[in-house]
Amino acid sequence: MTETTRETGMNERTIISVRNLAKYFPIESGFLRRQVGVVKAVDGVNFDLNEGETLALVGESGCGKTTTSHCIIQAQRPTAGQVLFRIGDAEPMDLTRMEKEELKEARRNIRMIYQDPYSSLNPRMTLLQIIGEPLVIHRMVESQDELQERVAELLRLVRLDPSTLNRYPHAFSGGQRQRIAIARALSLSPKVVIADEAVSALDVSVQAQILNLMKELQTQLGLTYLFVAHNLAVVKYEADRVAVMYAGKIVEIGETEELYTNPRHPYTEALISAAPNPDPDTKYRERIVLAGEVADPGNLPGGCAFHPRCRYAEDRCRQETPELIDVGEKEGQSHLAACHFAEKLELTGIAGAIQREERESA
Amino acid sequence: MTEIQRGGTAIDELGPSTEGMDGSLLSVRDLQTHFFSREGVVKAVDGVSFDIKPGEILGIAGESGCGKSVTSQSILRILPKNGKIVGGEILFQNEDQIIDLATEDADGRVLRNIRGKDIAMIFQEPMSAFSPVHTVGDQIIETIRIHQEVSKEEAHDQAIEMLRRVGMPNPARNIDEYTFNLSGGMRQRAMVALSLSCRPKLLIADEPTTAVDVTIQAQMLELLRDIQADLGMAIIMITHDLGVIAELTDRVMIMYLGKEVEHGTVEDVFHRPQHPYTRGLLASIPKMDPGRVEIEPIEGVVPNPYAMPSGCKFHTRCPDFIEGVCERHEPPLTAVARGHEVSCFLYGGREALE
Repeated sequence: MTETTRETGMNERTIISVRNLAKYFPIESGFLRRQVGVVKAVDGVNFDLNEGETLALVGESGCGKTTTSHCIIQAQRPTAGQVLFRIGDAEPMDLTRMEKEELKEARRNIRMIYQDPYSSLNPRMTLLQIIGEPLVIHRMVESQDELQERVAELLRLVRLDPSTLNRYPHAFSGGQRQRIAIARALSLSPKVVIADEAVSALDVSVQAQILNLMKELQTQLGLTYLFVAHNLAVVKYEADRVAVMYAGKIVEIGETEELYTNPRHPYTEALISAAPNPDPDTKYRERIVLAGEVADPGNLPGGCAFHPRCRYAEDRCRQETPELIDVGEKEGQSHLAACHFAEKLELTGIAGAIQREERESA
Repeated sequence: MTEIQRGGTAIDELGPSTEGMDGSLLSVRDLQTHFFSREGVVKAVDGVSFDIKPGEILGIAGESGCGKSVTSQSILRILPKNGKIVGGEILFQNEDQIIDLATEDADGRVLRNIRGKDIAMIFQEPMSAFSPVHTVGDQIIETIRIHQEVSKEEAHDQAIEMLRRVGMPNPARNIDEYTFNLSGGMRQRAMVALSLSCRPKLLIADEPTTAVDVTIQAQMLELLRDIQADLGMAIIMITHDLGVIAELTDRVMIMYLGKEVEHGTVEDVFHRPQHPYTRGLLASIPKMDPGRVEIEPIEGVVPNPYAMPSGCKFHTRCPDFIEGVCERHEPPLTAVARGHEVSCFLYGGREALE
């Protein structure tokens, strides 16, 4: 570890460190476009992404998970905060302060995969052009032959027939297109891949193929994933750690199994309870059905933004905004939750019924 | 009214097909709906049969292109222009007559009387059910007054009552609002209120929870369950989400490429899935269970609809493929338990081939 890394406080395993990230959008009104308010899409988000792990950002529409990912890659410039990125032993760089040209190097190492493979791939380009484009832009190949060879190799990597490289995306199904998008993302041998709802638009049988492919590629290439998704079951399968977002803030973050079996924030508890399970035996279980809808990030309630929908809310929740605090019970595991009563509440996770029975019989 | 009677008697004269409705509200028999385009014919629904009893909740599940939505559009005769019912019957028990919806004029009075009154539908996108330039109340009142002889005031009261039942926060105010002023969840509720305003006997719900967040989905499922218990209508729930099926329905039919592959009670189909496709589907869904649960995808891709496989449509991806049988013959539906049928040669139908 070098002096600088110690100064920035970056953990040895950390590849991206997001610090106090905020993204505000102005609300303008009238002919003169006067600013009448502000949408706090992301508001004070902190997390570390460790090398080789899959960290999921989950939450409902408008919680800021996609904006967070855009602010990391500087597709949108954050209003405040830092995004520290480190390659190997090099000094971490703050992406938020870099100019476009300087960002090129970082962007070679952080790639994105989007939700809809029908709109993310240019229909007028062949697979060779789509997958090869980043290689050409970053001058990674010297001849047309080398380009063809690299693209064929990438197609094999995502289990597509390399002889299809002169075909257009329309000849492929949704799942195959998502493989093409993955091949494009991997063309520059990045360190980090941000997958923004990458399997949400796919049918379940194909979704499973892509989930497994992403896991295999992670092991094979040592990739680090930031997995942005709303489907909790998919996240449970794919992620090592999970950050739950609500109204622009992280409300809970921890190791996947621990967070699902032992949630410490009432919103996490409600999300887990609401997720439909393909098992008719759970049909009549008691579900927590949250009243109302996700808070409007342009007009957030005071105190804890979740309090109007929270069944445990008390006066304090209406006045004070809770900080993310450590609530971990397991040695060596970090588990943070932003709830005034995180330590006191007995919340139910996926194994809730079983745990409660054990507790009662003990 | 006369036309409804004529529709009824016309079918009655056909004799055999009207028998054996067996107390069913709707009986779909060997339905075939095809789409015609320059590239060829797509057999979107290719010989599907099912019954639904009054007050029952039936799920129709499958992946994109399996024909589940086309089945529902066929029932209400709201198919796109190039889609046509080319065979089969859709028998609907209306009062004491049986009407074959498949042969009625899609724009005729019989169907216009049934649509929205006896059979209503809710969609994935609530904005598509509403006009943006009329208030929610005006549209519900209009629907009520088309189908019932009531005064404006009575219809207004009924509309408020329905908005209250679907859990709108302030029905007396919401009735005068435009849909663009409502949030996503409220629009869904307004759409349910509109569809239920004439107390239909059958509600067709086509992916109503697909585009909404999980907490809103939970609200919607709870609403459908409550309102079904309250009003007692039958529901056909069309979705690709097997979690939603498990949560809401009594019976389920699984479809693949226009064919029915398996049907039975949700308990039978989810706990004792027989068809390799059903088993594959269930194995490919990540579960919300503690511990590490592996998922196994179904190999391959859904075939191009213009070049359908011969024999069993699933044989190209099937792990239990029987060479010389599955690619040559279409498997018949075979009962594996009471009310649990599968169309797969693993469970029978091969004897008849010899």
